[in-house]
Amino acid sequence: MTPNPANGVRSIRHDDLVIAADVRPWGNPTLPRPPALRLPVAGRTPTLVRIDPGFSRPRVASYHFTPPVAALPPAAPRTARPTIAVDESAGSVSPAPTAGRTRIAPPRDVVKLSEKFFYLLQPDLQTMLHAGRLEFPRKPFPFQLDGMAFLVPRHSAVLADEMGLGKSMQAISSIRLLVRSGEARRVLVVCPKGLVSNWARELADWAPELVVAVIEGDQLRRRWQWSLADVPVKLANYEVLVRDRDLVAQLGLSFDLVVLDEAQRIKNRWSQTNQAVRGLDRRRSWALTGTPIENSADDLVGIFEFVDPGHLNERMTPRALGAAVSDQILRRTKDKVLKDMPPRLNRDERIELGPEQRETYRRAEEEGVLRLSGMGDEATIQHVFELVLRLKQICNFDTATGESAKLDCLQAELEEVQASGRKALVFSQWVETLGRLEISLARFGALQYHGGMSTAARDEAIRRFRQEKRHSVLLLSYGAGAVGLNLQFAQYVFLFDRWWNPAVEDQAINRAHRIGAAGAVTVTRFLSAETIEERIDEVLRRKRDLSEAILSQAGEPAATGLTADELFALFRLAAPRAGGRAAAA
Amino acid sequence: MQQQQAEAAGGAAVYGFLTAVDSPHHGLFGGYLVVDGLGRPLEFHCTAPVKVTRAQQILYGPTLHGHLHGQQIGGALLAESKATPAVVLTDHEAMLSVRQHTKLPVALVKPLVGEAATGFVVGASHVTPHASDAADAGAIRERLAALAGAVELGEPFERIRAAIEEAQRH
Repeated sequence: MTPNPANGVRSIRHDDLVIAADVRPWGNPTLPRPPALRLPVAGRTPTLVRIDPGFSRPRVASYHFTPPVAALPPAAPRTARPTIAVDESAGSVSPAPTAGRTRIAPPRDVVKLSEKFFYLLQPDLQTMLHAGRLEFPRKPFPFQLDGMAFLVPRHSAVLADEMGLGKSMQAISSIRLLVRSGEARRVLVVCPKGLVSNWARELADWAPELVVAVIEGDQLRRRWQWSLADVPVKLANYEVLVRDRDLVAQLGLSFDLVVLDEAQRIKNRWSQTNQAVRGLDRRRSWALTGTPIENSADDLVGIFEFVDPGHLNERMTPRALGAAVSDQILRRTKDKVLKDMPPRLNRDERIELGPEQRETYRRAEEEGVLRLSGMGDEATIQHVFELVLRLKQICNFDTATGESAKLDCLQAELEEVQASGRKALVFSQWVETLGRLEISLARFGALQYHGGMSTAARDEAIRRFRQEKRHSVLLLSYGAGAVGLNLQFAQYVFLFDRWWNPAVEDQAINRAHRIGAAGAVTVTRFLSAETIEERIDEVLRRKRDLSEAILSQAGEPAATGLTADELFALFRLAAPRAGGRAAAA
Repeated sequence: MQQQQAEAAGGAAVYGFLTAVDSPHHGLFGGYLVVDGLGRPLEFHCTAPVKVTRAQQILYGPTLHGHLHGQQIGGALLAESKATPAVVLTDHEAMLSVRQHTKLPVALVKPLVGEAATGFVVGASHVTPHASDAADAGAIRERLAALAGAVELGEPFERIRAAIEEAQRH
């Protein structure tokens, strides 16, 4: 500090800070004001730290969705049936469902975030059904709602549930949702000829508000039916579609959705049926089948030529196929989803042929094998096939005496079935066998159901079997009776002879063992001991795991069908040349 | 009310659902879904994540959440929407303060658990309108009752959360 006696100011200097203080003694009368302290500051301004407590406005991404235009007014409440979806009591609005939500997840091939949002922001399935007042005649199982949530968002889908889990109901309910939301206005359902009536019934049951046109009759009539513009659902069989493929193209018809039932019908890519369905102009392609792979992985490739053309090819390994279709195929089995379903009891009835029938069989086989051996390289699959069929027929009925060990056994079993008031289904691959059985089983009120009958006659047979107590037995051919029929009131199934393919046998069995089955279903498979039937059974057992191997990606399948090699091997013969192609389906 | 004008002009009632999702990795996301009377989506808006600094936490103190949810996130989302909903519902209490930044009625939705001192019950939910809309509680209740016939009021928030989760994965 440096004192300045002249003005009384003292300075303090400390580097940059200079403080000057004017110090005067108190009580000096010459000074009117009190002494002041002056602190002059020199040097750099001190660093100022600013803290902005505000937030910058967050960036907002926006997505707009086109409001759906309802294609139909809300469904009228059912009057004839008890309802489960909406409680209309006292005219009040029932509350929306609060539990058990089934959400529609975006398919894996949806990449854009905006499209994913479209699916994620939809109401859950229960809310959609409730809001649309879509009622069901029976309460769907949760796995069926999952099936609908799988189908609705997909343009390419295969619903491959095991037979009897309600594939048609899931498809119909999904169609209903799409039509209601305005996403589908023109839907085509294609099914085997024998199932048209069944589908018409199911549509009326599960979607009573949808107008359905069944495409049938002469060409003029069909042209008119195809042309109907204000009918949301058209129903046609495969044969009609093949016949009318040019007409459909000529009329310029396009569909928002095409559903193929029993889609294994198009497994052969080169078939006319496959070509006809692939030629349809469509936005969505769904296939329903309990057996997407019957013989080989090529079956699946054939179906996908319709569902998602080019997605699969025959060079892909089963593992690669499984990975490629994992988002497009939904398959559930009864043991996984229906824990409470009545059990299916399988019995293999090994039947000893009687002496005369055995002798007829022995002679036929020896002669046949001798003939095949003598033909050498001239022997073809067709020759072996004919021998197999002849031997199988003898296993059913002795062609010389009419004796049938199987029939004797079946009659004994049916006594019990009839006595207990139950009903039974009997399957055979031959219409002729069904005819003979009908005569022999007349006392059980046996009725026939096969492809040689008219649709009306078949429907009448089903009606009588269902409603009239005296008819304990329905005799069905695998071709006509294995698919689509709901016969869950029958508790016994007899496979009088074996089909070439276990999947077809499963389909037959599942006419009875399906949702709604009242009790355990007993399946009896007749096998004539020490005959061709036992040898075929061994081959079928090897094939049985193929489908699951691909669908579950569980490994490489061991076999790919009943090949020429396998067919010749049934008689311990070597296939002449270049065997290996699938010979029997 | 604006909504009454919209309905008088022939527009069907729409409803807004506003919520926020706190992600430990990214920050706070806001989502706003506008649905029609059947619960079907019409508009969806979501914010980029907002991270709160320590300084903001200290300086805003107890007012932070109201400001962040109400003005910053809620205000930004509502400003982007073209719709005029009958009511904006939120399941996030702090979001209620968005009412200071919009003319739309705003209400808090909570699952129905026991008796509540204020608000009213619609379906399985308890609804408490913002204090500014207390006088319109009757009208809000009437509009929500119509919606609740189709949609459980807590359900659209699940959709918003699923969409924001998807956006984080994208």
